[in-house]
Amino acid sequence: MMTRDEFFRALLQAARDAGAEEAEAFFLQSESMRALARQGEIDDYSVNQSGGLSLRVLKDGKVGSAFTEALDEQAIPMLVQNALKSAALIDDADEQFFFAGSPEYADVSCQGDAGTPQQRIAMALALDRDARKIDPLVTELGLYTGVETGRGTLRLTNTLGLDLSHTWDECACFVSTIARRDARTTSGFAMDWGQRLCALDPEKTCREAVESAVFLLDAKPCKSGTMPVIFRNDCMPSLLGAFCGIFSAEAAQKGLSLLNGREGEKIAADCITLVDDPLLAGGAATRPFDLEGVATYRKEIISAGKLATLLHNLKTAKKAGCKTTGNASRGGYASSVGVSPSNLYLCPGTKSLQALCAQMGSGLVVTGLSGLHAGADPISGDFSLLCEGYLVENGQKSRPIDQVTVAGNFYRLLQDAVAVGDDLKFPSGALGSPSVLVGALTVAGQ
Amino acid sequence: MLKKPIAQEVLAAALQNGGTFAEIFLEDTLINSLLLRNDTVETVSSGRKHGAGIRLLCGTRCLYAYTNDTSRQGLLDCAAKVAAAAQWAQRAQPAALETVYFSDRHPAEQLPQGVEHVRRLRIMRDCTRVMREQSPQIVRAQAAWNDSDQRVYIANSEGLFVHDRRTRTRLGLLAIASDGTENQTGFEGPGAMRGIELFERKIDATERAKLAARRALTMLHADSCPAGVMPVAMAGGFGGVVFHEACGHSLEATSVSRGQSEFCGKLGQKIASEKVTAIDDGTIPFAWGSTNIDDEGTSTTKLVLIENGILKNYMVDKLGGLRMGMPSTGSGRRQDYSFAPTSRMRNTYIAPGTDEEDEIISSMGDGLYAASMGGGSVNPATGEFNFAVEEGYLVKNGKIDKPVRGASLIGRGSEVLMKIDRVSKRCTRAQGLCGSLSGSVPTEVGQPMLRICSQTVGGRKA
Repeated sequence: MMTRDEFFRALLQAARDAGAEEAEAFFLQSESMRALARQGEIDDYSVNQSGGLSLRVLKDGKVGSAFTEALDEQAIPMLVQNALKSAALIDDADEQFFFAGSPEYADVSCQGDAGTPQQRIAMALALDRDARKIDPLVTELGLYTGVETGRGTLRLTNTLGLDLSHTWDECACFVSTIARRDARTTSGFAMDWGQRLCALDPEKTCREAVESAVFLLDAKPCKSGTMPVIFRNDCMPSLLGAFCGIFSAEAAQKGLSLLNGREGEKIAADCITLVDDPLLAGGAATRPFDLEGVATYRKEIISAGKLATLLHNLKTAKKAGCKTTGNASRGGYASSVGVSPSNLYLCPGTKSLQALCAQMGSGLVVTGLSGLHAGADPISGDFSLLCEGYLVENGQKSRPIDQVTVAGNFYRLLQDAVAVGDDLKFPSGALGSPSVLVGALTVAGQ
Repeated sequence: MLKKPIAQEVLAAALQNGGTFAEIFLEDTLINSLLLRNDTVETVSSGRKHGAGIRLLCGTRCLYAYTNDTSRQGLLDCAAKVAAAAQWAQRAQPAALETVYFSDRHPAEQLPQGVEHVRRLRIMRDCTRVMREQSPQIVRAQAAWNDSDQRVYIANSEGLFVHDRRTRTRLGLLAIASDGTENQTGFEGPGAMRGIELFERKIDATERAKLAARRALTMLHADSCPAGVMPVAMAGGFGGVVFHEACGHSLEATSVSRGQSEFCGKLGQKIASEKVTAIDDGTIPFAWGSTNIDDEGTSTTKLVLIENGILKNYMVDKLGGLRMGMPSTGSGRRQDYSFAPTSRMRNTYIAPGTDEEDEIISSMGDGLYAASMGGGSVNPATGEFNFAVEEGYLVKNGKIDKPVRGASLIGRGSEVLMKIDRVSKRCTRAQGLCGSLSGSVPTEVGQPMLRICSQTVGGRKA
């Protein structure tokens, strides 16, 4: 039985022996626990540990890869053979890279404290019990009520001498609510997350989940039309997430983004500054190195409306004649090296949500969006999404709205943004935004 | 890969602190993924997923643990983890395991391991070439190949011991049309429970490639769709995603068993127009959403969900069935060993009706014809759904007019089912991936061309 270290060394050596000029092993492991509570009991409980490994090899200027979740004796020859076969077939003319390491890496700690299983179970049961006591209209909770914690470990090591590892912890508590009144049923959801279980706020989560469902009981569609829209800070991050691929140099170079070669141009309103910060304290995607081993740093993608930089890895940077921005990523051990943001957020302004509403005068505040996986197309920028929220009339919150769609194009939205709020929020992880007021979007209701 | 004596030992270990049911799901899957952009091979990746999930039920409580270590000790450690969380007064005695055999409805003619990548690439290159031949405005033609050879071993405390092998192959064909300032896309994703014979002998992938490219080009020159409430006709095939989202998920025991579907307690009641008969069938040979046995080891079935508007059946898995007092319908599915199973759709379609396609359009006045649908989602508790129209055409005065883009359809499942006023005669099905509680699973959706008499359409033109 080999230790993990022995396994990696043997793997890289076997790759070399089989003719690879360079080889790299990427190992990703996660341990997680989830407890879902229902009607006073833990109804669903899972405890898991899994991991996998991918091997990349460089031969004749081409990089091939293979992966496995079974780290047994057969894994080494299987990985080496498949990775070399893959390298022989790739005909991507772009130069591919392995990296020996940056001179230094930032000192970021992402390790937290997920508490004990008993503490997590107690929190899950408390969420279930307390959420049902807040409002008589909410006596039922949905499936996703409970606690989830996890620890991730990754290791990146190659034949150029790179050997990096990183560990991070995540905890989350969440409540889904069902509100019923007469024949009407609505649902709500709220979550809190962080690196430490004791820093989560279960009471606030219960209150927000209950309020979001009860609020919609009176909701109705509004009249169709073009109107100004405020995307509130709890849903703007998911819209940003659906389109953040447009800032990838890989997407731009492949014609999948309209931003290719537009660095230095004004692509958004003055109030828009977009930041990618891999060193954000407490950030869900904080890490000292990217997945090619390059040291990470904070950067503005959009600076007061101007496109400052796209996000790069070593390959896209070489092609564009610039330096990597330390945004190399992998979708998991089964994926090849691509580009993705880390902690990505729009910089806040100075106006409260109330002040944004006053500025808007009359329009729609969107508090929830659905169908992002289908109704948002990052290649064209078009979106048409089911949403809910409330109308604003004369600067004041008026009636709740649901069953309407909001449609537009994300590239236009960046240009038509009028103001951003002071309420920067990271609702569920690495994506964050304040509330954003947009000049005009099409709303379809009645 | 899973031996009976070890399985027997592991099941007993899982039940050592009590429990009413225990199950082992062991999986070994070989995967090939290739990506071709225009003429350039961008990615070739082969790999192996491997692991086991152990499930313990204590009444209707579910305890689950999974691991990649499927050695005898690895499985025993995993069983110990669920047992540690159990503490249940009742303790089932695991029955002696007996192997169950069945005939394979979906035998692959060629297993993926025996196929050299050049054969896959040949088919992919034909597709990207055909896409680009449609017009110089097709700036990117992409073919993504995915095949998998999944071996599953299931053993449970009721004495079931069963093994299934599933070979699936799919091509994702994406065309991007551009006029220099704007991009539009067209996508086709043919697939089946087959090996490479699917594309070498059974269907012509280049026909689908052509469709994807034509769609991208049409949408590039299309106006924005107007927003409003109007009649909507939907083409057959992937149009079936509407039923999948608007109704299908709300008929899964996953939500029904918790009292959180708008169709709870409605068996025998009219939940759709009389024109609607809908079926979920896991037995269709070689269909993308079929399997011989579900991921709990139960034989799959053909279920009539709705007959002439009346709700006849829910889709039920073991745990949902325990909650509802109903037997499993062979609908328990999971993405892989890292998920506990729950009831899911398989191949779900609206059955052929009696109306004529021409009349559907000619009698609709002004509205929208959705020639191709994208994906969507639903909240089963409220029935609120949404889906994207990939290729739409305005209908003016009963005639198909100009193409429009960027439309989405929203509504409530229970309402839209009642508003289906035409169902034509020829049903076609298309392949997709459905995401839910137990992960992403392959499903087919289908329908004949049909019409919804009044539907909210979200578009960019007010």
